[in-house]
Amino acid sequence: MPRYAMTIDLSRCMGCRACMVACKVENNTPEGHFWMYVFRFEEDEFPRTRIWFLPRPCQHCDNAPCVKVCPVGARYKREDGLVLTDFQRCIGCRYCEVACPYGVNYFHWKHPNKAQYLDYNDDPEVRERTGGAMPPYRNPDQDVRYGQERRLTAGSAHYRGVIGKCTFCVHRVEKGLEPACVANCPVRVFEFGDLDDPDSAVSQKLRSSPHFRLLEEEGTEPRVFYLNGTPPSPDVREVMPVKGGRRS
Amino acid sequence: MAWAFGTVWPISCSHEEHAKLISDGVKTGVMAMALKISRRTFLKGTAAVGGTAAAVTFLYRGLDTLAGPEGEPQAQAPPGEEWIATTCWIGKQDCGMRARRINGRVVNLEGNPAHPRNLGTLCPKGVAQITALYDPHRVRTPLIRTNDKGIPGQFRPASWDEALDLVAAKIREARAKDPKLVVWQKGRSKSAALYDDSFAAALGAIKLGHGAFCSDAGYRASEYTIGPHGVLHPDYKHCRYIIHWGYNLTAGGGNKLCWITFPRQVVEAKERGAKIVHIDPRLHSAGPHADWWIPIRPGTDLALALALINRVLERGLVDQDYLLRYTNAPFLVQEDGTFLRVDGREQVWDEVAGQPVPYDVATRPFLDGAFEWQGKKLRTAFRVLREHVAPYTPEWASQICDIPARDIRRLADEMVDNALIGSTVIVDGFEIPHRPVAIHTYHFAQQELGFQAVRAMLILMMLLGAPGAVGGQLIDPGSWKKHDNYDKFGRVTMKDPPYDVLLENSPFFPINSKNSAMVALVLRDPQRWQVDPNKLPQVMIIHMANPVLAFGSSQDILEGFKRIPFIVVLDPWLSKTADLLADVVLPVSTMEKYEGPLKATDGYVDAVALRIPIMEPLGESRSELEIYLDLAERVGVLNAYLEALNKGLGLKPPNVLAPGRKPTPREVFELWAKSQGVAEGLAYFEKIGVLVKGRLAPDKIYGYAQKPPFGGIRHRLYGESLLLMQREARRRGVDQVFWRDYTPLPVWREPTMERSPRKYDLYLISFKLIEFKQARGTNLPLVAELAPEQRLWMHPRAAKERGIKDGDLVWVESHNAFTGETRRVQVRVALTEGIRPDTVGLPHHYGDIARHPWSQHQGPGAGELFFTGPGYIANTADQSFQVKVRVYKA
Amino acid sequence: MSGRAITLPYGVGRITPGWLALVGAAAALVGLGAFAYAQQEIHGHIVTGLRDWGSMGGAPWGLYVSFIVYFVGVSFAGITVAAFIRLLRLDYLRPISRAAEILTIVSLILAAFSVLADLGQPWRGIVNLFRYARPQSPFFGTFTMVIAGYLFASLVYFYLAGRRDAYLMAQHDSPLRWFYRMWAAGYRDTPQERERHQRTSFWLALGIIPLLIIAHSTLGLVFGLMGGRPGWFSALQAPGFVVLAGISGIGHIVVIAALLRWALGTPERPAMAAFRWLGLALLVLGLIYVYFTLVEMMTTGYAGREHEQELAKLILTSYYAPYFWVGMGTLAVAIGLLAVQALSGRWSIPLLVVSGVLVNVTAVAKRLIIVVPSLTHGSLLPYGTGMYIPTWVEGSIIAGLMGLGALMILLFMKIFPIMEVPEPSGAEEVRG
Repeated sequence: MPRYAMTIDLSRCMGCRACMVACKVENNTPEGHFWMYVFRFEEDEFPRTRIWFLPRPCQHCDNAPCVKVCPVGARYKREDGLVLTDFQRCIGCRYCEVACPYGVNYFHWKHPNKAQYLDYNDDPEVRERTGGAMPPYRNPDQDVRYGQERRLTAGSAHYRGVIGKCTFCVHRVEKGLEPACVANCPVRVFEFGDLDDPDSAVSQKLRSSPHFRLLEEEGTEPRVFYLNGTPPSPDVREVMPVKGGRRS
Repeated sequence: MAWAFGTVWPISCSHEEHAKLISDGVKTGVMAMALKISRRTFLKGTAAVGGTAAAVTFLYRGLDTLAGPEGEPQAQAPPGEEWIATTCWIGKQDCGMRARRINGRVVNLEGNPAHPRNLGTLCPKGVAQITALYDPHRVRTPLIRTNDKGIPGQFRPASWDEALDLVAAKIREARAKDPKLVVWQKGRSKSAALYDDSFAAALGAIKLGHGAFCSDAGYRASEYTIGPHGVLHPDYKHCRYIIHWGYNLTAGGGNKLCWITFPRQVVEAKERGAKIVHIDPRLHSAGPHADWWIPIRPGTDLALALALINRVLERGLVDQDYLLRYTNAPFLVQEDGTFLRVDGREQVWDEVAGQPVPYDVATRPFLDGAFEWQGKKLRTAFRVLREHVAPYTPEWASQICDIPARDIRRLADEMVDNALIGSTVIVDGFEIPHRPVAIHTYHFAQQELGFQAVRAMLILMMLLGAPGAVGGQLIDPGSWKKHDNYDKFGRVTMKDPPYDVLLENSPFFPINSKNSAMVALVLRDPQRWQVDPNKLPQVMIIHMANPVLAFGSSQDILEGFKRIPFIVVLDPWLSKTADLLADVVLPVSTMEKYEGPLKATDGYVDAVALRIPIMEPLGESRSELEIYLDLAERVGVLNAYLEALNKGLGLKPPNVLAPGRKPTPREVFELWAKSQGVAEGLAYFEKIGVLVKGRLAPDKIYGYAQKPPFGGIRHRLYGESLLLMQREARRRGVDQVFWRDYTPLPVWREPTMERSPRKYDLYLISFKLIEFKQARGTNLPLVAELAPEQRLWMHPRAAKERGIKDGDLVWVESHNAFTGETRRVQVRVALTEGIRPDTVGLPHHYGDIARHPWSQHQGPGAGELFFTGPGYIANTADQSFQVKVRVYKA
Repeated sequence: MSGRAITLPYGVGRITPGWLALVGAAAALVGLGAFAYAQQEIHGHIVTGLRDWGSMGGAPWGLYVSFIVYFVGVSFAGITVAAFIRLLRLDYLRPISRAAEILTIVSLILAAFSVLADLGQPWRGIVNLFRYARPQSPFFGTFTMVIAGYLFASLVYFYLAGRRDAYLMAQHDSPLRWFYRMWAAGYRDTPQERERHQRTSFWLALGIIPLLIIAHSTLGLVFGLMGGRPGWFSALQAPGFVVLAGISGIGHIVVIAALLRWALGTPERPAMAAFRWLGLALLVLGLIYVYFTLVEMMTTGYAGREHEQELAKLILTSYYAPYFWVGMGTLAVAIGLLAVQALSGRWSIPLLVVSGVLVNVTAVAKRLIIVVPSLTHGSLLPYGTGMYIPTWVEGSIIAGLMGLGALMILLFMKIFPIMEVPEPSGAEEVRG
């Protein structure tokens, strides 16, 4: 049984947010849902200003508060480390969301099909082109059940009124692929792999580079390790934040 | 369908079933639970009720985990899955892409790992463009205008035949008078071989690019000074001291390799220990990679470059060998500024002969000297340079550029120290000088003094012997080739009026980048520019361009272009330009088309790729090639077009296009693929996507490695012909604003904008965001969501002084110091410590009024505040994107 | 004897215009709530002011959760009072015990409804909360213990305590006689039966007290255990909830008792002594709560982590200050009023009612302060601050629930004596 983990090299990240979009297309998350979010930070003052970027996927904690608090066991942790959501058991109480200190959970305030950026299916030709799939690039992998537990856990375009969050692209991982954000990063900020395998990219990076984990003091034991950087201090300023959804 | 939930969801289910599953989610969800009882959790639930046990579990027990996929069958690819290789369409760099298709429906776009430029990755725009394939807001039939130009358009849908016949008739009509009455304006044209060099050529039309709004001033400076067609970038694989000078690394402003390739090379260089100096009023363009930020005052780069030259010469460490053998530095300059020539050959002072001898026979020429000969005072060009820059001290520049003199010294010294002058390396058997110091600059050239500023940078690098050296100054990624302009600019080619609408060979722009905004000015007042009113364009074809939005000085472009009787716009969306100016809109497919050939080199590997349709075009949209073939036929220039295609695509018999028959795009590229020596033809590209031909030979990359080095030309340290151009222009009596910057060596002068009244107390600069490389990107919801609204970037101090808070709505009013005209727009403010307090910035590609829910109402376009014409264009007619503004609360 | 037409006690069965008006008003509120809920059911929670915290900058919990807590808090009263009657033999409280029990049951039902209003998948919730119940989740306490166990216990208690009156009512001939018979279920109010009845209810009361503490504590733990939430993570959360629950509950009892006394025109029932006892209880709990609040503030102010401090500032001095100070202000006034009466020994029902209302304002304000600020401004990562403004839908649903509660009590009043029928007199009368 592998122990999956992710490393994020802060010295490489340029904050292009390609990972955010790659995640969206892979998992069909609706408007305003960013299972992967990239902070753009400024520190200090002109002319000593420093800017840096911090990608924020789900931390897939070993001691995950969201799993602990879920009243129905819809949010659960697999032995390989993935923290997943059973979209068919979730009752939508959002307790996981308030318990998580990282803000990685996104609730389907409306039906995912009703927040897919454009009203594709109102158009007969487009509808005919997509067979009514919503979004038109709907990823069929998310309708497959994964793991021994065989639960519906992949992707986002399922139900209204349930919670969703980064799955480490469980549907890709089980095909032996990297998560979408990892695979697409133009400057190879991310590595994904098995902590138990000393030759895996993550193990090597962790041996060779200084690293930290977000909010380690909360005792959540994240599976995401940040390399070559420092945790955001209270005086970092976020610039160009993305609230998401249509323009306000 | 409840059964389906108990087990694995049947992948074979149709889209309708998918849709159903989604629509009645709640109901089915409950059904599923009713069916599937997980014993494990059930027990847990009951056990928990037992008080203390529960309490203990509750407080101290760790997380319970569920078994992972061990021993499970791996998820298989859904049936109907296929991968098509193609090339990205949205940006400039043409990255390799693979489209994942399920039963013909594209569900994802990924980078093509085989492509040298992006190695399996994509930028946000590249991923986001998938929505374009299904965008209901695209133009899907040809449109014909039913109201006046200049206002939001009313159109009626038309058949292709009707639209093309109309366009063809107009073109024929114009060509009957003069082919030059047809203007072909391109934006980001993706394949010169298909369009510029073939279709436009076959029409004999005037060609307009977007370069004058890009970095053409830099191109001209490079062509003029050292030959290659491009702007400066380092040999990243070997460079150790990298200067990003007004270069937008993290948002895609590079020389051909706009975003993915250069950043990756920068990151690797840094990890090899390279140092990066960032000279820019904005920090964000450097991302986290600036080791040293020098926030220079906008428009003063020339002064800094001159001061750096001054300091380098003060240090006295220059690459004598290079300067003597490959530049005109040793040429003898007479008092009138021209070279001393004896029967047409430039002379140098030979130590042995003790007198001038032709430069190509001299044995020991002087680099730095002044001589008396036959009563003539002679100085080497190098000496002229030294005396020329003597007053340009670091102290002098520090006032102008607002940079401490010690920093300027330090920068120059570090450049010299890292240049390792004299060192060489062996590359594939060639011994090449090793100069691991270089500048990366690009859209930097968009300033009034852009041409001379880039020339000054080149002179600086020449002193260090960096051009074309390993680790040194490269120009055009993957190719070091002398451009025809090198010779052309050596001559003075001014004609008598009347001039054409581009003002070619006019005394206004002896070197001319052909600026569409200038064309617009000419259209408004031909007399002033001595242009024959009967020679004004009758038909304009706008090819994948949005000039009103994306070029400078929107108002001028709109006013000028309005006067062109007939305009046809090729665009997938109803762009602002189409909306305001098009008589006919022809719907172009986005990435659903054949296009190419597309360069795929990363600067070190030779490769070529194609754009291949990954889906049927949406609606009735067609590829440009199809449209042009139809048009050519209707206009009656089909054969000329086919001939040009044969030539442009390098088709080799028997794989050539036969005259008289209109081929399909597929056929064209089948022939091309065969001509490339690819046996399986197009199929290969559909599968692999890119033809990698192996590593580039050193002489392709490094001018030094060529035989003879640099193709045997002398780099122009001293620009004699510039002086001659100035003299000829003066003789013809044109205003000095046009010739004042034609000087053999760069001369600093205050930019015109500095003459604006004091109340215009801020500099406005423009830049690009990673989200929108070009206007077409703003129609992609997935990136529009990330940068949804135009923002004026402003320093908190500047904002505070004006009582402005983050997010406030303000007026930005720009002032034209030459005409006194002012323009203003309303925009919201974003505060950042990453910009000079005396500077504000506006990103490009906002301001569309096109009827797309994600691109309209985004706020004003940057182009609305900039001016064109004297004072706001370079001496090469290139647009400046710098102006003085004032900002006040709305 | 059954022939003798006599009026049932406490206006049971008598329909008055005033009552009709109240029922109409309550029904209207319920209708509004139902309409609002329909909107939410059709469009999803997008129609609420709730949004995700973090990048979306909202609050995932708001009015609904605040009122879950509030309603559960109110339920505290009935059972406590009743239990004290049994345990401490405070007989003069007996008259209000039934009203109190009703209040408990009704408010627990309302709490359950607010939970459903908050859930994104309410129908799944009904099934899964029990089927997949996890004791590791603090919600286990809220949903399973409180809204099931606590409600169940209260119902049983209520039923037993009502048997005697049911028997008495069944003596008269009325359209509801069958109902009274069914309730009485053979109870005849013989001395042995009465004795047995006393004993069961005593033990039941004894059992309910800890259950009640646990229930309100677990509700507190829902927040108190969230380590990553400044403003929530605190050991005082649980006891704080118990006390505030007591305050709001007793506040309600006072009001209702006064209303009954006035509406039923029974000047001696409930007796002044009952009001005094309630007043003192309210005073004591109020003081304890003030003490808790001070301790909490000191801990944060002295040793709190940066984010805790930030949040405290926000609540005490800026964005959320109005809510906080309204809450504390009302409590202070109430305590003042009570203290004066306690010291002077002269109790006034109007003043008590005012205090009762004030402390419930406190309760609502405090709940909002507990739930919302930690979500909009309590991020440990540098997300921008969020904001939350309830929409008309949320407001209407809560109003509808209030209406529902009123409706249930009003209807009950007309089918069963809202006060226990007095021991000797009442009994004599019916027998004679």
